Amino acid sequence: MRLSTVLTTMMMVLLVAGAALAGAGETVYGKGVSAPDTVLVSALLAHPDDYVGQTIRVKGTAVGVCAHRGCWINVASDVEGDVVRVKVKDGEIVFPPEIVGDTVVAEGVWTANKLDLETTKKVCANEAKNAGEEFDPESVTACKTLYQLSGTGAVVVKN
Amino acid sequence: MTKFRKICRTLHREFGFLAVGLTLVYAISGIAINHAHHWDANYARTVSESQMAPVGTGPTEEIRDQVLARLDLTEPVKNTWRADTNTLQVFLAGARYDVDLVTGKVVRQGFSKRPLLYDLNFMHLNSGKAPWTGIADVYASLLIVLALTGIFLVRGRKGLAGRGGVMLAVGVLLPVIYAVVVRA
Repeated sequence: MRLSTVLTTMMMVLLVAGAALAGAGETVYGKGVSAPDTVLVSALLAHPDDYVGQTIRVKGTAVGVCAHRGCWINVASDVEGDVVRVKVKDGEIVFPPEIVGDTVVAEGVWTANKLDLETTKKVCANEAKNAGEEFDPESVTACKTLYQLSGTGAVVVKN
Repeated sequence: MTKFRKICRTLHREFGFLAVGLTLVYAISGIAINHAHHWDANYARTVSESQMAPVGTGPTEEIRDQVLARLDLTEPVKNTWRADTNTLQVFLAGARYDVDLVTGKVVRQGFSKRPLLYDLNFMHLNSGKAPWTGIADVYASLLIVLALTGIFLVRGRKGLAGRGGVMLAVGVLLPVIYAVVVRA
């Protein structure tokens, strides 16, 4: 009886501590951010190959979140219409949909994934489907390279 | 043997009471998450469409206020984003509006946390990390104690030597068969 009382009390204390920690206005995901400088998304997208393999930090508005597992976010560029995707390991970091519209500082390794022609066609078909556009597989003749930030951490500031 | 059984019974009873709440957390959330491919276990999502007078594809600084005025939102706007020439997105705490600037079509995608279930899943998936990791480890240890002590609670034909033994074998064989036959 005493043992159960002690354990229950311990759990209550831990729960209260957890709730208090979760209450802050700035939320840290994963390892947070530690890279010294922020790279402009526009600069990153203008010369993506220059940053491949580097640990970098980007900042912008979160304009998209993976609806299934919260495993990626799209961070808006300083140039309208452009976004950079921050992909994290499934389950390691889970981005909630509430962060859309908030300011995100994300850190990770900039990666390039060169697709073969068949995969490029599938990606283009999917993009066309999402945009509600017609798609002709024969129109794709060159392979695509997908760039993204393999995210290790992020800090989200509520707007 | 009687003394050993008595210890098992005491541990099983005390830890059993302690484990009820957490077992319900993990069991209910487990069913919900197990069907994650069928539904969103954490958020209720809605999609609705409406129409507004188109504002055209002018510079964002000029059309933003017009769009917000025509949407006539009651909740505060967090941010806006010109996703492409024809689309302005408006972000609120629990929704996103995609406004087609050419046609005036408005798509609202709303989301809200599922009451209770969100919190159960938060605990089950250990999304809060540090504090819950310790609690979950203690709970898992309690389950091991409950499972092992439960074997020795009953004697005779309903116990390990009888029907209980058969049930125990079935319960052990089930994951073994799955791992060997199905997964292979």
